[in-house]
Amino acid sequence: MTPKWMDGLKTLCRCRHTFQKKGVTWGLFLSPDTLLDAARHLFQAGFFLEDISGLDSANGFAAIYHLSAYSGADRVTLYVILPHDDPQVPSISAVYNGAEWHERETMDFFGIHFTGHPDPKPLLLPEDMTDHPLIKEDKERALLRDLLDPGDIVERDPDFLLFEECDSPIDELKPQAQGPDAIERA
Amino acid sequence: MKELFETRQVSTEIAGVDPAADIDGEQTLVINMGPQHPSTHGVLRVVLVLDGEYIVSATPVIGYLHRMHEKMAEIRTCLQYMPNMGRVDYLNPLGWNWAYVGALERLAGIEVPERAEFIRVITGELNRISSHLVWFGAYILDLGAFTPIMYAFEDREKILDLLQPISGSRLTYSFFRPGGVATDVTDSFLKDTLAFVKYMRDRLPMYRDLVTDNIIFRRRCEGVGVLSLEMCQRYGATGPLLRGSNRPYDIRKAEPYSIYDRFDYQIPVDENGDAMGRYRVRMAEMAESLRIIEQAVNRIPEGEHLIKKAPKPLWKAPKGEVYFAVEGARGKIGVYLISNGDKHPYRVKLRSPGFSNLSLFGELAKGHLLQDAVSILGSLDLVIPEIDR
Repeated sequence: MTPKWMDGLKTLCRCRHTFQKKGVTWGLFLSPDTLLDAARHLFQAGFFLEDISGLDSANGFAAIYHLSAYSGADRVTLYVILPHDDPQVPSISAVYNGAEWHERETMDFFGIHFTGHPDPKPLLLPEDMTDHPLIKEDKERALLRDLLDPGDIVERDPDFLLFEECDSPIDELKPQAQGPDAIERA
Repeated sequence: MKELFETRQVSTEIAGVDPAADIDGEQTLVINMGPQHPSTHGVLRVVLVLDGEYIVSATPVIGYLHRMHEKMAEIRTCLQYMPNMGRVDYLNPLGWNWAYVGALERLAGIEVPERAEFIRVITGELNRISSHLVWFGAYILDLGAFTPIMYAFEDREKILDLLQPISGSRLTYSFFRPGGVATDVTDSFLKDTLAFVKYMRDRLPMYRDLVTDNIIFRRRCEGVGVLSLEMCQRYGATGPLLRGSNRPYDIRKAEPYSIYDRFDYQIPVDENGDAMGRYRVRMAEMAESLRIIEQAVNRIPEGEHLIKKAPKPLWKAPKGEVYFAVEGARGKIGVYLISNGDKHPYRVKLRSPGFSNLSLFGELAKGHLLQDAVSILGSLDLVIPEIDR
């Protein structure tokens, strides 16, 4: 059964998982422009933000958000896949104030830019450091479909082909997903 | 004077504070608390803007103890990373041990022997008590009383003496292994642990008489730094902060792991949400941990402490991603691990509870007196290496 907070939420892919096996109940793939909406839905439903992490892969970066419910074993993972050359994702610090530091940390480690962040400064790394230590070299990068486990795909946008046959980087994979027409289509 | 102003400008530039900010036409004062301030325990810096004695804004500046544990995870094998887990949080290393091996076990589907689970519970809870004891002593020390830390360290010493023979270290334990624990415990350890439980039970009322009921102490804590549940949710605060604000959220019950469902214990909460509430929660937690230890020692079965097919140093974790959370001394410790089937993890994300707990300090301290900032900082139970990772 789909939980109530998911009603009216635009997602690229909804995956159901077993908590005992993976530590997560739902994994949602989102486009950057629906992230803030998802954060609001989850905040209303009483979820708190555990952490934000980045992931470097052959398909681009992934910004990964973990949110957990107070009521019991219920964890939601939000994935936003971003291109390597201009990784931009909206900041959710207006909804979850705690995200401010998590986003600064992810900015330090991966160079992912969080648009609308109130104070986008390095948090853990030196001010003058230009490198992002968790970015991998090309030959070390693995494909996202080898790293992320889709579980049971409940609903999928027809253009979202991550777990289908594909070897192309994100830009070729779903070029329209980030354009303005993506909202209308979804 | 001009020079002085310029230095001030340089030191506040990093924190993004305007040194000449006017509040209602009054000139404010910017001071740096830390990185070497004794009450910041480690190297934390807080840039405070003061209007007289009142805090206009407080901005924590962290990163002085950053060691990039997450990068180290990617260049070591899964098992070689174990010693790092002892060094993320030097006061509660077993909590981190547990979160990391738990993630590997959940990913690879490794079963842990019954006896190992009991050993984990006993040592894990002993470690929680020793962590709370250091916090207790240091917090009261911050507030100006010197004696309690001597008592607290005397008790903590007994725990370190208990854990030393089985884990091989006194501070940075690397004791858990995927599939069990590194060494078996002896009967004398179990006997000494029971004796410690009895001893510690008699000490807690003494702490209550000495500190908890002390009027000077209470005036420094009651009504100071009142944290609402809504604010906890916005910042992701967990552990005694959340329970001190009257939400009985404990990972041992909320996301049951190991064998915690077999023991009889309470989740202490406090309805006030102030520094005193957080203090009471931690003191009550020590008593509850003693209860768990007593039950576990009395019921520990015979058997192996580590499975025969336990992962070797060059073991390859199966492909996939996994999240595992445990209740540490400071709140929810989470390990998010992604493996591509290689012997090194592809990505490890460490969720430290102190990171989220400290991030709310700026909002919490606003409007308080400068002296209360020390009281609030102490009540958050910060361990800086855990925050910086």
